[in-house]
Amino acid sequence: MLKVRIIPVLTFNGFGLVKTKQFTNPRMLGNPLQTARVYNSRGVDELAFIDIYATKQKRKINLKLVSDVIKECYMPVAIGGGIASIEDINDLLKIGADKVIIKTKALTDHEFIRRSVFFFGSQCITVAVDAYKVDDGYKIYNTENIDISLHEFIRQMVDCGVGEFVVTSVDNDGMMEGFDIELIKQVSVITTVPIIAVGGGGALEHYKALFSETSVEAVGSASIFHFTQFTPNDIKLELKAINKPVRI
Amino acid sequence: MVAIINYGMGNVASVQKALNFLNISSKITADHTEISEADFLILPGVGSFTQGMNNLAENGLDLLLTNEVINKKKKIIGICLGMQLIFANGTEPAPVKGLGWIEGTVEKFELDNLRIPHMGWNNIDVVNDTYFKNTKTNDFYFIHSYHAVPEDKNVIAATVNYGFDVVASVQKDNIFATQFHPEKSQAAGLEILKSFFGQNA
Repeated sequence: MLKVRIIPVLTFNGFGLVKTKQFTNPRMLGNPLQTARVYNSRGVDELAFIDIYATKQKRKINLKLVSDVIKECYMPVAIGGGIASIEDINDLLKIGADKVIIKTKALTDHEFIRRSVFFFGSQCITVAVDAYKVDDGYKIYNTENIDISLHEFIRQMVDCGVGEFVVTSVDNDGMMEGFDIELIKQVSVITTVPIIAVGGGGALEHYKALFSETSVEAVGSASIFHFTQFTPNDIKLELKAINKPVRI
Repeated sequence: MVAIINYGMGNVASVQKALNFLNISSKITADHTEISEADFLILPGVGSFTQGMNNLAENGLDLLLTNEVINKKKKIIGICLGMQLIFANGTEPAPVKGLGWIEGTVEKFELDNLRIPHMGWNNIDVVNDTYFKNTKTNDFYFIHSYHAVPEDKNVIAATVNYGFDVVASVQKDNIFATQFHPEKSQAAGLEILKSFFGQNA
């Protein structure tokens, strides 16, 4: 049986790891290599590493650093940040990334997403869906002033053939008060593409609620691992108790 | 020495990292002489079937590898797309010929209630345990939207349940291949590579 995935998400600012709250106020957290090493030794299911300022600061992700992070990992790694060309993806795959996470370019250039899927296969192309709540649903948070609803964006990306969505609740990011279950429910109704739910996990019961109330099969988290004593394994034990298949 | 075939289709670095960890010497290469001289071959790869075959053909690697594997009987392990390309026929995105070392077709998943790609850790059922004897756990990392359907079911070395019994590994003579990624499957994956290469690499 396919196991649910618990994925630590490392967000990076070009120098060190940071953790934001509602996509602002980045708090410095330290060294990505050390952190990757710890997660590898704990045998986590997968790791996501995202340079959340690459696009904004108009720079490419630091390939040397990413390569060093990947070297610590004997599990799958997804890399995101500033990806805007086929060459960018190739560079990341060459140093051992398994998937790439694309955000801004997915909003501005569908042809690029289509080509990426054609070259690398849909399993390799993950799209970041950063959603915030509005009166009548959800919209996609972005710095390009693109006004697009959650439904429309997901529909477009499914049409491009992408292989996975990282769905992050901007409102719940870093708040550690629970996931936006309504958001995850909405996405899982629109698409059969795998979803990683992100944003809001702070206590074990939040994960229990997410997995019992939605059909999601993967969760990404940062704060709970940085700021509490809980490990990915603690979450798995909690999920095992509600009969979710986990890999321990 | 192990030649990791470099044909522009991803994950070669991860494969080499796993071999380094096991102290197995390897080279990432597309060089015909180096490939001919290697003791073992690895055909890794992620991406689409057609693109993979095109890239192999571009460098004459399709003919070279077929000679090494079929005529010279060199041991090879195919991983993910590398397993799929071993089959006679692909369908991604349109019907296309594969390397044809094993008869069969690689088809797209058609599943009503399950998400595609099949992505994540799933447990396999071993049918032929030649290279699975030392694995302590049965969970391996899968990431694929297409799956292989061999004509001769005797080549199946392991299956994984995802809506039905999907082929997770095949073995025929000197050819061994896995749909999952041993190099990404931590201890259990490393054990498989160790069994395959033995002490001779």
